[in-house]
Amino acid sequence: MSKNSKLNILILLFLGTTVFYPLVTMLFQVDWSTFSTLINSSAFKESMHNSLLSTSIATVISILVAYLLAYALNRTDIKHREVLKVLITVPMLIPSISHGLGLINLFGTNGIITRFIHLNIIGPVGVVLGSLLYSAPVAFLMFNDGFNYIDNNMYHTAKVLGFNKWQTFKKVTLCYMLKPILSAAFAVFTMIFTDYGVPLVVGGKYITLPVFLYKEVIGLLDFSKGTLIGLFLLIPALISFLFDLLVEDYSDGEYMNSGIEVDNKIINILLKIFVYFILIFIAVLFGSFIYFAFVNNAVLDKTFTLKHFDYVISNGIGKYIFNSLFIAVAVSVFGTIIAYTAAYFTARKKGKLSHIIHILTITSLAIPGIVLGLSYTICFRKSFIYNTYIILIIVNIVHFIASPYLMAYNALQKVNQNYETVAKTCNISLIKIVLDVIVPCTKKTIREMLAYFFVNSMITISAITFLFNTRTMPLSLLINNYESSMMLGEAAIVSMIILMFNIVVKSAVYLIGRKEYRKNYVDSK
Amino acid sequence: MGKLQAENIVKVYNTTVLNNISFEVMNGEFFSILGPSGCGKTTLLKILIGIEKPTSGVIKCDEQDITALDPSKRKMGIVFQNYALFPNMTVLNNIMYPLNIKYKNKQIAEEKSMEFLRMVKMEDHSNKYPHQLSGGQQQRVAIARTISLQPEVILFDEPMSALDADNRLSLRRELKKIQQQLHTTMIYVTHDQEEAFSLSDRVMIMNSGNIEQIDTPNNIFNHPASDYVKKFVCDHLTEKVSSIEKCTGINL
Repeated sequence: MSKNSKLNILILLFLGTTVFYPLVTMLFQVDWSTFSTLINSSAFKESMHNSLLSTSIATVISILVAYLLAYALNRTDIKHREVLKVLITVPMLIPSISHGLGLINLFGTNGIITRFIHLNIIGPVGVVLGSLLYSAPVAFLMFNDGFNYIDNNMYHTAKVLGFNKWQTFKKVTLCYMLKPILSAAFAVFTMIFTDYGVPLVVGGKYITLPVFLYKEVIGLLDFSKGTLIGLFLLIPALISFLFDLLVEDYSDGEYMNSGIEVDNKIINILLKIFVYFILIFIAVLFGSFIYFAFVNNAVLDKTFTLKHFDYVISNGIGKYIFNSLFIAVAVSVFGTIIAYTAAYFTARKKGKLSHIIHILTITSLAIPGIVLGLSYTICFRKSFIYNTYIILIIVNIVHFIASPYLMAYNALQKVNQNYETVAKTCNISLIKIVLDVIVPCTKKTIREMLAYFFVNSMITISAITFLFNTRTMPLSLLINNYESSMMLGEAAIVSMIILMFNIVVKSAVYLIGRKEYRKNYVDSK
Repeated sequence: MGKLQAENIVKVYNTTVLNNISFEVMNGEFFSILGPSGCGKTTLLKILIGIEKPTSGVIKCDEQDITALDPSKRKMGIVFQNYALFPNMTVLNNIMYPLNIKYKNKQIAEEKSMEFLRMVKMEDHSNKYPHQLSGGQQQRVAIARTISLQPEVILFDEPMSALDADNRLSLRRELKKIQQQLHTTMIYVTHDQEEAFSLSDRVMIMNSGNIEQIDTPNNIFNHPASDYVKKFVCDHLTEKVSSIEKCTGINL
């Protein structure tokens, strides 16, 4: 057997034991006779109703907001658009639980804004608002990307043909954007439908499906019931997954930012105001973390204090920071190696196994974190890796592998397909050509993969929520602890620590990329 | 050295791509494989170099069966349409990279590299990166990299299809010169008749997985072996004539 096929089989074994096996084991332990009892129970019906309602509303608003933001930031004459685009995505750097926390800070019973206007955010409104914060930046990125690929000449042609605004939108913009819009709608729906961070914090008595699952498993240790609920969470994820798999992209993937500008002055101004409004909202939300971290009590005693920091430190924050960083770095390094190796074989060495590896890797996209975590609990409860860092690292790698894998897959497909042949005729070994040429050609993608794994491992709660113990607990879960004891200042501090590390990693990736770009394309000319 | 034989080569994917093909390339010959896209010429090239295995049939080099031999052991080089230069290395390093492995001595590798860069007239660009060169210049470097390893047979996969007319003409001349200088066997795959006929000692015309004719350019023009070849050559001539008519305004 050649070295290649050995590596191929190794990857297949890894994916088989970490994706396929836990899911099957989980399905086999289900007591199916309880199925009808479950779906007829009022608790299930209510949480299903709540989930569908809040998710649908939040998805529609999220898509609208994200589309308007992307439109405004690509088509108006707004200044510093690149910086603003980055700021819009800052909420993606904190856990969803922190989005809920921010809302409590502002609109909760003791919230900063609640003092001026009476609002009751706890319940469906809070869930929708929090979900919006959590999902809109993701949809924004998808639309922003879509706008970059619209061919400018199409608009010129439309003008020449005398199309009016509506016709142009229908025939040109929609033609390019329909796929991103539908893709984003499915993705956002799935994200919100399966998230339990936001509803856990701001839902109050408004129980959604993932919270229902969470309570059944954490509170009652009812794995069978948990799995049955989990199956319902899989449905939108599967639809979303199949949609992306089956629908082809209209644009040919060529980057051509057009920059046709909005010619109506009023609309132009309104769009800009909208962008600033959203940014101010995000800023106020993050500001509330700082405010809560430094005052004694947001309502009763607004004096400056460091007591929250003292408490966090005396409670051993160092240990949690270590856990988070250790897990995130390990996931980042090993995840990137695995995703890149898998992508190398599927993108450049088309064999029989490649197809299976490809499908298995992107299947992880269709498994909600909470369901994946549950399957790991059921499957590995009695194994030696349970209660260790290893299981947290593996579950995170599997949970997040699809996106970095696809990044590597796309990048590797674009790298000249003849290098391996050249290497063979020049007597250069495969491993040498990969390390000396192909890796350097794709290092920008590799850095992005590392950052993606890192940031997501720092903010995730869903996949690891049933798998951690007091020794391995990361920062993101600590927020939950503090928040549920109403220690908002402490929870705010932890959120800021996560944000800080993620900003450091993201900036590092950005700065290295910029330096490299200058070196290659500016200095050499 | 460098005599290549293909015997009864068959390649089947879902359909038959190569249908029992046999031919012989002489030592030091410039041999072109000419045909429209989809006729199987690139597949044939991949089989000759060894990155594809034939469904049946034998490839021999100097009477030795090399059908199962790894590409690295065939003493062949290949030049691609898209150059396949390493973008993260300078022109010099692109050539030195394999030579370092071959000679295990940096100084010799560098001297050799410069020698071959001079041969393709690229010695002044040795410190540039591929993206700073024109397509024609990149292809020169790719050719230098291939010949620097002194293979016995060099395969060309439509090396000039991505170049503009001027570059094509000058590169064609230089390629011919290099071949006369090195006496390396060269197998040149193209769909461009003019390129094939002007460069080659012999041309093999292919059509949907079959050989239509193997002969010198002169003989192909004067004695086309089949209707297909006749039409192929005629179309080319008609095109030439009409372009001359257009230029000169004279009806030929």
